Amino acid sequence: MLKPLLTRLLNHLINQNSWARVQLRPFAGRAVRFVIPPISATITVLEDGGLAMAGETAAPEATATVPFSVALRLLAGDEAAHTLITLEGDTELAAALAKVLRNIQWEYEEDLSHLIGDAAAHQVGEFGRKAASEAKHQTLNVAQMFSEYWQEEQPLIAKKRHVENFLKEIDALREDVERFEKRLEKLSEASKTSVKKKPRSTPKKKTVS
Amino acid sequence: MSKKTSTHFGFQTVAEGEKTRKVGEVFHSVARNYDLMNDLMSAGLHRAWKRFTVEISGVGAGDRVLDVAGGSGDLSRLFAKKVGGTGKVILSDINASMLAVGRNRLINDGFFVPALQCDAEKLPFPDRYFDCVIVAFGLRNMTHKDKALAEMQRVLKVGGRLLVLEFSRVWKPLAPLYDAYSFKLLPLMGKLFAKDANSYQYLAESIRMHPDQETLRQMMLDAGLHKVDYYNLAAGVVALHKGWKT
Repeated sequence: MLKPLLTRLLNHLINQNSWARVQLRPFAGRAVRFVIPPISATITVLEDGGLAMAGETAAPEATATVPFSVALRLLAGDEAAHTLITLEGDTELAAALAKVLRNIQWEYEEDLSHLIGDAAAHQVGEFGRKAASEAKHQTLNVAQMFSEYWQEEQPLIAKKRHVENFLKEIDALREDVERFEKRLEKLSEASKTSVKKKPRSTPKKKTVS
Repeated sequence: MSKKTSTHFGFQTVAEGEKTRKVGEVFHSVARNYDLMNDLMSAGLHRAWKRFTVEISGVGAGDRVLDVAGGSGDLSRLFAKKVGGTGKVILSDINASMLAVGRNRLINDGFFVPALQCDAEKLPFPDRYFDCVIVAFGLRNMTHKDKALAEMQRVLKVGGRLLVLEFSRVWKPLAPLYDAYSFKLLPLMGKLFAKDANSYQYLAESIRMHPDQETLRQMMLDAGLHKVDYYNLAAGVVALHKGWKT
C-alpha cells in the first residue's frame, strides 16, 4: 500500500511544481534507483512528466547514492553536499531527476487553503514559517554556544584563525623542504661531477733528469 | 489437425462459445449490484487501486484512452478528468447490461463518454489510435486472452501504454486466509447482498484460474509489447501490469 501512497504524494508535488514536468518528460518510461543506506527506492518517470514509484520488475538505468550524512546535510540546505552524491549509469537521467527532487517545493499553504480557507491557511503558513525560522535561530545559537565553549573553555575544537595560521606554517614548511631538497639535489650533482673530473686533473709525474 | 475448443469457466471446463454466454449471464446478473459488491468485497480498496492505475498511466490532457471491459465506468470517469476537453475516453464492454449501468452513471455525473458494446478480441478501431488502453478486472473473463491482448496492442500508438488491472497471485503466507475469504465469505456475501451466490462463486474461481504476475507479464510481451512492468497491490491480491508499445 506504500507504493500507491508515495506515488500519489510524488504526483501531488509535481502538480504543484509544473516546471518539473517539462524537465522530466524527455525521460518518460525510465527509472532511477535512489540509495540512502539502509533504504533504497526506484522512481520512474511517467509519460506526462509525473513521477511514480517503480514496479517490481523495473530495471533502473541509473543509480544515485546519497550517504546518510549527506542526506542530512541536504535536508539542512547545505548546497555543497550536492557534490557528494554518487551518480552511476545514465548520469544525465539521474542528474535531471535529482535536480527536480532537490528543487521541488511543497506548497503546504495551498493544500491547507482547501481545508480551512485562504486567510486561515496564510495565518497558519506565517506561523509555521516564523516557528521554523525561530527553531533554526535557536539551533544556531545553541551550536554557537557549544562551539565557543569547546574553543575557549575546553579547547576541543581549533579556532579558525589558529587553523589558518597552522596551515600557513605547514605551507611555509613544505616550501622550505622543497627548496632544501632541490639544494641537496644540486649539491649531490655537483659532487658527482667533481668526483668524475678528479682523475683527469691529477698532475703527471715529472721525471727528474 | 485438432483445434482447441474448450476453455475454463471458473473451475469448470466448457466450450469456448459457452464461456462467452455464461460470463454474459454472470454480468447480466450482477450488473445492478456490481458497485455495492465491489465495495464489500474489497473493503473499498478497488477505488484506491483504480486511482493508482490512473496515476501510473501517465495519461495527460489531450490523450485518447480506451477503457476495455469498463463496465461500471469508474475508470472512464477518472480518465475523463485527466484528458480534459481536448482528449477522448471511450468506454467499451461486451456486456450490454454492464455498459448501460456505466454509461448512465457517467451521464448522471456529467461526463459524456462514448459507450461502445464490442468484443475486446475484435476492437473496431484503427491501428495506433490510442495513447492508453486499460482493462480493469476484465481480462480474466475473456475467452482468448492472447487475442485480446494482441488486439489492444494493435490499437495503441507507438509509445502508448497498455494497463491491465486484475486479480493475481497473493503473497503465499496469506494464501490460506485469502482462500477462506474468497470461497466461503464471498459467495455468502453474494447471496446476502446481491441474491446471487453462484455468480460470486464464479468470480472466486475465475480469480484462481487467472495467470499469475509473471505469466501475464510474459503474455503481454508475447502480444508484442516492448517492456512490461508490474505492481503488486495488497500483497498481490491485485496486480497492475503496464506494458509499453515501441
